[in-house]
Amino acid sequence: MTREEFDDETLMAFADGELDPATSERLETALASDEALAARLAVFLDSRRTVADALKPLINDAVPPHLVESVGRMIERAEREAGRDLRSGSPDNVVALQQQHRRLEPQRWFMRVAAGLVAVVAGVTGFAIGRSTDDAGSTSDVNLAAALDSQASGQDVPLSTGSVLHVISTFRDERGALCREYQLNDRENSTLTIACRRDGEWLPRLALTSPQPADGYVPASSQETVDAFLASIHAGAPLSAEEERAALAGGGGNISGQGE
Amino acid sequence: MIDDTRTVPQRLVAFLPNLRRFAISLCRSPEFADDLVQAACERAIRSADSFAPDSRFDAWMFRILRNLWIDHLRRAKTAGPHQDLDEAGDIPGPDGQAVSHARLDLLEVTAALMKLPEEQREVLVLVCVEDLSYRETADVLSIPIGTVMSRLARARKNLARLTGIEAGDERSSGTKGGLA
Repeated sequence: MTREEFDDETLMAFADGELDPATSERLETALASDEALAARLAVFLDSRRTVADALKPLINDAVPPHLVESVGRMIERAEREAGRDLRSGSPDNVVALQQQHRRLEPQRWFMRVAAGLVAVVAGVTGFAIGRSTDDAGSTSDVNLAAALDSQASGQDVPLSTGSVLHVISTFRDERGALCREYQLNDRENSTLTIACRRDGEWLPRLALTSPQPADGYVPASSQETVDAFLASIHAGAPLSAEEERAALAGGGGNISGQGE
Repeated sequence: MIDDTRTVPQRLVAFLPNLRRFAISLCRSPEFADDLVQAACERAIRSADSFAPDSRFDAWMFRILRNLWIDHLRRAKTAGPHQDLDEAGDIPGPDGQAVSHARLDLLEVTAALMKLPEEQREVLVLVCVEDLSYRETADVLSIPIGTVMSRLARARKNLARLTGIEAGDERSSGTKGGLA
């Protein structure tokens, strides 16, 4: 009789009570006579308990009063707003809500809200980002596609067009395509783009243009659009600098973290 | 069908401790976690309409908070020199009591947890701390269930390695060849 092999996911699902009954039964039989298998299973049983023991007690931590108060105020405002909406018959008074947010406590880590209209170009897949520069610029100039192919996130790269490229992050979409979120700034405008690489071409998937704000950041109002878009393409977590380097080099699609 | 007629804001208040625990697990800094919770609440209130009353409120909230966190990570990379997340703060224990032997182990576990890559830590926390099923976790993270499982298995093996709870006879990865 050949011994059935069980992979890690199967053992883990068993430890978590998510394995189907038939496989569970076979696994239980195998466990009775296979100590190594039992030891591998123990890793999954122990780790769950260990993590739970370490983090579950955090729930007993008192929520800081300032947080409770601030959420309470938020709720109050929202309910007042909702009441007003009901009366006025407008179900979703976005403008009024946004005005309110200006008065909220500053969110330290959010981009400052800047005024300004934002033009949205979503689902642009018809054109690829040009790779050749017609006007051969100086040697330090780089064209956009080449820059996207090679530049690490977080740096400012002057392009031959006169604008400055700032790649914000690199990630993979649901299908594993390599995508980059970047900002192109020139004197007047700032354009935030998400482009994904397909067959060696960078295809813009979302582009938001706004008048150049004083602090160089895209206004937070466009952030929600970006968030929604990223969620819709099931964007993965940003790649680390190392992963990014490997991915740009065209290396494998391994998006695993550390270990193994 | 979940029988709960409370509105999003009403549920939110009761859910704050859970949300905060999840935030701390993700971002490793209680102060930062509070900012994250606040932003998540704000967004939840604003998009309360998009919550389906018969779906899981916890999963919905986790998803909002997690998306904000990922978003922050994206941005943090551009902000130039910034506080290294690894140094962003030690997670304090649940209370300020004297450190017992057991607590030391927990601190060790917490430290190991914080060394895991983001994508591994979040599945670990959702499944092992928040007790979500694989399916629910997949929904929160918008990834396939198979990816949840492969990340979770890796996370737990890494954790075992980091904390030394790993089993004596470890065969690497069994029959599974590639990574997700």
